[in-house]
Amino acid sequence: MLATALAVSLVTLAAAWRLPGSNQGYEPVQPIAFSHKLHAGEMQLSCLYCHAGAETSRYAGIPALNVCMNCHAKVTTSFAAQQQAQPMESPELRKLYDALALDAALMPVAGRSPKPIAWQKVHRVPDFVYFDHRAHITAAVQCRQCHGSIETMDRVRQVQSLAMGWCINCHRDVNRTGVAGKPVHASLDCVTCHY
Amino acid sequence: MSENPKRYWMSPVSDVERDSRDGATVPIANGDPDFVTTRRSFLKAAGFTFAGAVAASCSRAPATSAIPYAQQPEGVVPGRPLLYASTCGACEARCGLLVTTRDGRPIKIEGNPDHPLSGGATCAVGQASLLGLYDSLRLKGPLRRGQQSTWPDVDMEIAATLERLRQEGGAVRLLSPTITSPTTAALIADFLGGFKNAQHITYDPISASAVLEAHALTHGRRLLPQFRFDQADVIVSFDADFLGTWISPVQFTRGYTSRRRIDGGARQAQGAPTMSYHVQIESRLSLTGSNADRRLRVAPGELGHLATHLAVRVAERAGIPFAADGLAASSMEPAIEAIADRLWTARARGLVISSSQDVSVQLLCNFMNRTIGAYGTTLDVERPSYQRLGDDRDLAGLRAELSRGEVAALFVAGVNPVYDLPDATALAGDLRRVPLLVSTAERPDETASLATFVCPAHHYLESWDDTEAVSGVVSLTQPVIAPLGDTRALIESLSAWTTGTAQPALDLIRGHWERAIHPRSAGTSDPAGVAEPFQTFWDRTLERGVADIAPRDERPASAPSSRAPAVRPFDQSAVLAILRPDAPPSGSFALVLYPNIGMLDGRHGHNAWLHELPDPVTKVTWDNYASFSPTAARQLGVEDGDVVRIGADGAQPIELPAFVQPGQHDATVAIALGYGRAGTDRFASVGPPWFEARRQTGLVGVNAAALVTTTEAGRRYSGRTVTVATVGRTRQLASTQIHHSLAVQTTFAPSISQEPRPIVQEVTLGELSGTSATGGAAATSAAPPESGLREESLWPADHPYPEHRWGMAVDLNACTGCSACVIACQAENNIPVVGQDEVRRKREMHWIRIDRYYSGTDAEPEVVHQPMLCQHCGHAPCETVCPVLATTHSDEGLNQQVYNRCVGTRYCANNCPYKVRRFNWFDYPHEDRLQNLVFNPNVTVRSRGVMEKCTFCVQRIEEVKIEARRLGQPVADGAVKTACQQVCPAEAIVFGDLRDPNSRVATLARSRRAFRVLEDLGTDPGVHYLKIVRHDPAAADERRRG
Repeated sequence: MLATALAVSLVTLAAAWRLPGSNQGYEPVQPIAFSHKLHAGEMQLSCLYCHAGAETSRYAGIPALNVCMNCHAKVTTSFAAQQQAQPMESPELRKLYDALALDAALMPVAGRSPKPIAWQKVHRVPDFVYFDHRAHITAAVQCRQCHGSIETMDRVRQVQSLAMGWCINCHRDVNRTGVAGKPVHASLDCVTCHY
Repeated sequence: MSENPKRYWMSPVSDVERDSRDGATVPIANGDPDFVTTRRSFLKAAGFTFAGAVAASCSRAPATSAIPYAQQPEGVVPGRPLLYASTCGACEARCGLLVTTRDGRPIKIEGNPDHPLSGGATCAVGQASLLGLYDSLRLKGPLRRGQQSTWPDVDMEIAATLERLRQEGGAVRLLSPTITSPTTAALIADFLGGFKNAQHITYDPISASAVLEAHALTHGRRLLPQFRFDQADVIVSFDADFLGTWISPVQFTRGYTSRRRIDGGARQAQGAPTMSYHVQIESRLSLTGSNADRRLRVAPGELGHLATHLAVRVAERAGIPFAADGLAASSMEPAIEAIADRLWTARARGLVISSSQDVSVQLLCNFMNRTIGAYGTTLDVERPSYQRLGDDRDLAGLRAELSRGEVAALFVAGVNPVYDLPDATALAGDLRRVPLLVSTAERPDETASLATFVCPAHHYLESWDDTEAVSGVVSLTQPVIAPLGDTRALIESLSAWTTGTAQPALDLIRGHWERAIHPRSAGTSDPAGVAEPFQTFWDRTLERGVADIAPRDERPASAPSSRAPAVRPFDQSAVLAILRPDAPPSGSFALVLYPNIGMLDGRHGHNAWLHELPDPVTKVTWDNYASFSPTAARQLGVEDGDVVRIGADGAQPIELPAFVQPGQHDATVAIALGYGRAGTDRFASVGPPWFEARRQTGLVGVNAAALVTTTEAGRRYSGRTVTVATVGRTRQLASTQIHHSLAVQTTFAPSISQEPRPIVQEVTLGELSGTSATGGAAATSAAPPESGLREESLWPADHPYPEHRWGMAVDLNACTGCSACVIACQAENNIPVVGQDEVRRKREMHWIRIDRYYSGTDAEPEVVHQPMLCQHCGHAPCETVCPVLATTHSDEGLNQQVYNRCVGTRYCANNCPYKVRRFNWFDYPHEDRLQNLVFNPNVTVRSRGVMEKCTFCVQRIEEVKIEARRLGQPVADGAVKTACQQVCPAEAIVFGDLRDPNSRVATLARSRRAFRVLEDLGTDPGVHYLKIVRHDPAAADERRRG
């Protein structure tokens, strides 16, 4: 009995081998089915257009809804729908407009105030890790180095493990090879990330 | 370091006694019979733990959401701090602030470097006032007879009563502390102007009214001069604790230390190093007295007598007649003679001050200052201070009216008279009879609990406000967070009661500034005298936080010409000699009541950071106590913690623990005010929740306000005759004075524990200038003197420091011990409060502490304050003993502590010769969700079982480095400021890169005064101390006698 239980659990463990707490492969459903494949892939929007904080702040940041409205005040339908005789508003975009308390004509609804959208965080490091986007963008590290080929994903998935060994390996490698042809100093001190 | 034979000691209690009374022997659990581990319960627990661990390893990290703004405000980038210029509201000194906010909440207070008075520094109380914002006991809305109410209801009822009083003419009184805000003062005048019989009474909980009274007599105007310690070469202070608590300590400390700086600055370039000379004449050992060059220990009743002796001698030198016939002789005369010499030599660069509430003592100070010509240099009466305006005569008048039941409406705005004033029971009874009593207290305090209506004001970080602390220096307070409760600024409430509608505070302030402040700015911003538009002036002031404008015109409207002087010529007729000391009868004691550096007058009684801040001199936390000199304690037969009863004629006796304080006068007992606030029993549950944090329940400390003397001229804090009796109980104090001692414990090594270790070092001015004359080159270029031991170091030189080596220089001669750095570090680095019992067990968590050493006799000790923090050793003893490599050396010279790797063996703390490592014995409670908003999001909140210590504010280093790299610039010297450095009013701490030979810290590290603590151990510390400088004994004061 005990042996069976042990065998079963070993098989389960081997099948889903991850370090404890690792979120590699995590692909949560988001409140709006926003497609990075469409925006970053087909439309070729720069990552930094929406995630502008990556240049100036520790956090890349999730864009505020008014950033979406820079385009979606005009673009209210999908491409496919635009080809039809009666273009209809995309149901996913309606969620955006609802959050901003806008009606069908995109006018503010009286008595309602905009409410932010609670996106599901995909890439997350523990509280005792202080990752800084600025340092990496300054050193010309590509976003896809850590986030994978986001431009191919409809729904964002965590590609890398984000474990410390993975970070350290990259830091070691770039100290030898440089980033984009330029020599860099990627610190291996503990306090670079832990304080 | 055998050439430094001076012996330092930390406590009057001997080492042997200390070991036997070691705080670590406090039991943790009192033998709970239910808490017995059997084999069965152990296996149950172990099995559960294993199952839990397996389950946890299969799980993912918890799902979290990321919520962006719906509409992102301009200029806000999540994760980037925003700094707002503001003004501190923690006391009436009103220092300039830059409040750091992250994602909409203030997380740290820093000083505003542009502020002309505080110049970028703050004090411990200002730093800790941030915690008060997130206090869950603050009122959430207005109260009507103790019940929750709403603003419209409260306003309606108050307005109805006031309307009746307007017509009937009942007495309306408004009681407030010193109002530094011009807008508030104007609105109070407007509000009270509507009544036939109305008066604004101002009192300061810690009164300085005698200074103002004395100037009314000698200068014809009731004013508080602005004391310019930055101009003073000789300072004679009669009991004024100006570096600790008196009037404006940050401003005074900055000025004072600016004339005591030896390295750098213009003064050194002119030749031999000099520094100011400071005489403190006092009864208890105050923080200021601990920094004095000469300290005279006198009974409170002798102050006036000695001031007369000094005045006679100063007048004699100036050739001014001063009648003092029959002046009794004093044993201090030789010392007074020498002080008079010093003062007369310094003339206008001298300054005589006193915190005495005896007007005749203040008059003597005015006379001496006038005789040496100090008015105009070290005392500014053209731009006086508005930091204390209280009038004790008005207060006495109000109390008389209250006792006769004549007051129809009393508004109590920002003071707590039932707590502050003596004879509180009678006052409370009188207040109950007032038909309309309105309080604006933030918390349900002693007075508010009697009020008909409580109209809670904002915390100052939630509020618009303005300040004119010193004539011509106006500053703005701006809200940095939306009010956490349904509270309302005082000026909004006043406008509601005056006009019927509450106008926004911003409109009221802007309106007043446009009318009254802006016209005074003409010519100050532009030399041509062209007035800038109001909006420009306002925007500039708001951004900078402060503006310099023309001083307030205080001439009476009836002044004959606009060029009349602000004060009338000095009138000496009121200055009278005090011919003999006022000695208490033998067998009794003279009482000295004083504000403590953290509690001040008690307004911060709900602040746990300040309760756990060790007093700079006694090092006691979480309590007040009656301190006695060692001689007096021996005579009484009391030791630290023995409870004594202090009785006085006409006052309820109070009981509190005794504390033996070297340096105190033998016939005095000193007690801190500000303790025993209602509601502080809440702190019984600070600390680990499963056992009592304080074995003594009840309030924190005892309120000593009952012993304040009320005289016709004002409230007095010292000189009252009291009796002292032991009551046979003890109440153990939580004193940190012998915690984390660098001395070798007697029990470990009886032979070497007697050897002095080179921990603090001193040098005299003569030694400094003598050597610089003969070997000037050595003074600047040579490496610090090295002991032979370091040559034979066993440590390999394996730390190359390719880019930076961060280091610090601490000038012991500048450090006053004010402890602002301790609280700044606590706020920056999320340091928990552990509670009184845990402090007794030596488990306080402060990363930086101030070690206070005595030398000399315990009757008249010399004092040294030494900030002690992780020394970031080049060869750190902690690093070699960590079995899991949780503490290692970084490439930049930091001794890094990795919390997530630490398993809590505590080997490192045992091996640290500086005793700076702190262990998290518990998960210090984080249940108060509101309180947790104070945490700095850039620093990990540590959990149970890990070691922590000073990181040199590595989060700030990383931020500056990354930002410099982003902008493509090198890290500038001085760009990284640690929290302790930023706050320091004495500018005693300098942080920077030791590898850069031109950095300030490297220059200081090469100074002739530089030494490193216990350097002979070969630890290669990254913290350099600069020796304390003493005036030469050869040039000492008795020289002239003979």
